Amino acid sequence: MYFRIPRMVATVTRCEHVGIQVRRFWEQDRKSGYPRVAAKSSSEKRNDLWHIRNGFRILGDEFKLFKREVIEHLESDPLLIYRKDEIDLAWRFNGDKKSLDQWFVTADSDYEEGYSNCSLQLTKSGRGLFSGYLDKRVPKTGNIKKAGYCNINTLRARKSFKREGYYDWHPYNHLVMRVRGDGRSYMLNISTAGYFDITWNDVYHYALYTRGGPYWQYVKIPFSKFFMASKGRIQDHQEPLPLHNVVSFGITAADKVTGPFNLEIDYIGLLFDPSHKEECAYEMYKTDDYIAGY
Amino acid sequence: MTSIIRRSYVLLRVYPGMRKKLILHDLKSYRPTTALRCISVTSAHLSKDNSNKKNEGSKAVSFYGFAQVRSKEKKTYLDVLRMFVDRDIHRRGHVEFIYAAMKHMEEFGVEKDLEVYKNLINVLPKGKFIPENTIQAEFMHYPKQQQCAIDVLEQMENNGVIPDREMQDILLNIFGKLGFPLRKYWRMMYWMPKFKNASPWPLPEVLPNDSLELAKLAIERITSIDLLRKITIFQAKDLEDSIDDTWIVSGMSIGQKKLLNKHASTAPIYVEGPFRLWLKNLTINYFILRGDPVPKPDLPPPDDDDVSKIELPFWKTKKSVVPTEDETAIHEQEDGTIFAVCATGTSSRDSLLSWIRFLQKENDILANIPIIFKPKSPLGDVVLANNKSDKPKDEGVENKVNKD
Repeated sequence: MYFRIPRMVATVTRCEHVGIQVRRFWEQDRKSGYPRVAAKSSSEKRNDLWHIRNGFRILGDEFKLFKREVIEHLESDPLLIYRKDEIDLAWRFNGDKKSLDQWFVTADSDYEEGYSNCSLQLTKSGRGLFSGYLDKRVPKTGNIKKAGYCNINTLRARKSFKREGYYDWHPYNHLVMRVRGDGRSYMLNISTAGYFDITWNDVYHYALYTRGGPYWQYVKIPFSKFFMASKGRIQDHQEPLPLHNVVSFGITAADKVTGPFNLEIDYIGLLFDPSHKEECAYEMYKTDDYIAGY
Repeated sequence: MTSIIRRSYVLLRVYPGMRKKLILHDLKSYRPTTALRCISVTSAHLSKDNSNKKNEGSKAVSFYGFAQVRSKEKKTYLDVLRMFVDRDIHRRGHVEFIYAAMKHMEEFGVEKDLEVYKNLINVLPKGKFIPENTIQAEFMHYPKQQQCAIDVLEQMENNGVIPDREMQDILLNIFGKLGFPLRKYWRMMYWMPKFKNASPWPLPEVLPNDSLELAKLAIERITSIDLLRKITIFQAKDLEDSIDDTWIVSGMSIGQKKLLNKHASTAPIYVEGPFRLWLKNLTINYFILRGDPVPKPDLPPPDDDDVSKIELPFWKTKKSVVPTEDETAIHEQEDGTIFAVCATGTSSRDSLLSWIRFLQKENDILANIPIIFKPKSPLGDVVLANNKSDKPKDEGVENKVNKD
């Protein structure tokens, strides 16, 4: 399963976002050398006392999380029946500032690879507003071919004591959202990064088309429609989205049109629809050599 | 003996190396002969001679340069390509030429034109780059040329141009079936048509140039939530005392009319905007007529475990039927009730005033309700488009539209 050779081609042919063209399988870094967003924002100097206090606070939170995990494990009473058309909320903006902590916001200007900027705020009515200015201009550094993206992404799924975890979405087969857009199209990203480096960039995408206008819009996308890409390149061998292995969810604005954009988000939820039987919407038969999966 | 020789010959023919020769042979008949080329060159000279009359001066295209071309259009772009191809038999520097040509596409307005892309790929010579064995194929025979063709295809992909079968034939003649550009082509042909019509709100491939037509598209798209909507186009000059002579595209449904009639005449309603709507790469400003949100009865969720009130379907009364949402419910949102949507030619306050007057003809109740013109909106002031002159300076200026 982990020997997907297409990644090599993906790494070799793609050079617009990485300064140095990498010609090897092995990935050193999860972020391919990009700085971490968290490290970028906390550049201000704090005194030692603050760090000690903050450390203890985090430790307390982690113990609380651990306690809940232990109780959950001992109870061993998982939800078994997922009722039809019942939406389970994964992320929601309900006017609480804490709902913003789950997300981080990036744009190409953060890595000095473009001029776009964006933000995620709460509106007056308490919804999340992902807005900004998308700019297609390419900085004249010579190593960048294309620019213009803004992105919001949730933090990685984790267990207590900052251990890596996964969201288990396998009982569901639809992604539902309530959004209000501006007529632009956005990209939904579901990351399923695994342990091995070859899976680090596995992201499943699907387009989010918005109507625009003052009305809220319900979106219901089957997971079977999501297609796999690695570093933005669609892979030839498609596989059904591994729903037990979901790491994070994100929304990207990069529709190649310079200008302001805004997308209001109420919630992102999951839904089980028993009438939907499709596993993967894309062809799964074996294709000729030299055409696919090279 | 002859049969063995024949068999090996058959084997050789299957071998890709032979195919190249075959293709070359076929192509010889297509390649323009020297005589033809002479004619094309002489015709260019002839046209220069005719320029003494100063009639053909604008058509003269300087050789090999895109920057020097005066009239930037598709015809002149193709002329430059043709001139490069006709220049000499070797087509020296064709990779550099194609990259230069790709950079100038937007300038000439041909970045979404499939025919131009085909002509661009056609600049590459046929036959020479076809690998003769598997090793050559695997190690990317003529890598610069192959990468160049991939980049052209990539630019097509980015501009949303779906190639056709002729493109495949051209690429096959240049790189053979083992070429990397062919793989790119096949991937494009698999994925691009899948998403071509995926949007639930399709738009014409080429958007109309007329702003009124765009506004119609925009209002239709916004109001597509209510199938009973009615879109009307008003002309402001039909009103007696309107200042602006412009059009108003207004969308209002039967449900919204009902809601407006139900609206208490003491509570004000607001004209808000402009908000921005994107149609592909164009924006349209629209305005809304909004009332304050109607508090919905906060009913407790039905208790599924309560067995005392089980209803049998045999005695189904009218009362027990689950109330379905009527056509007005979609307009009653938690941040306000939307009564109507419009886009006007000037987006000025006067045109909005005309809009309200037109609505008043059909909805008498509007005459009694105080209407407030707000340049900002609780729907999110970030959504607000930058409007230069006609935006009123002070916020929430009250403008009562009276019947008089």
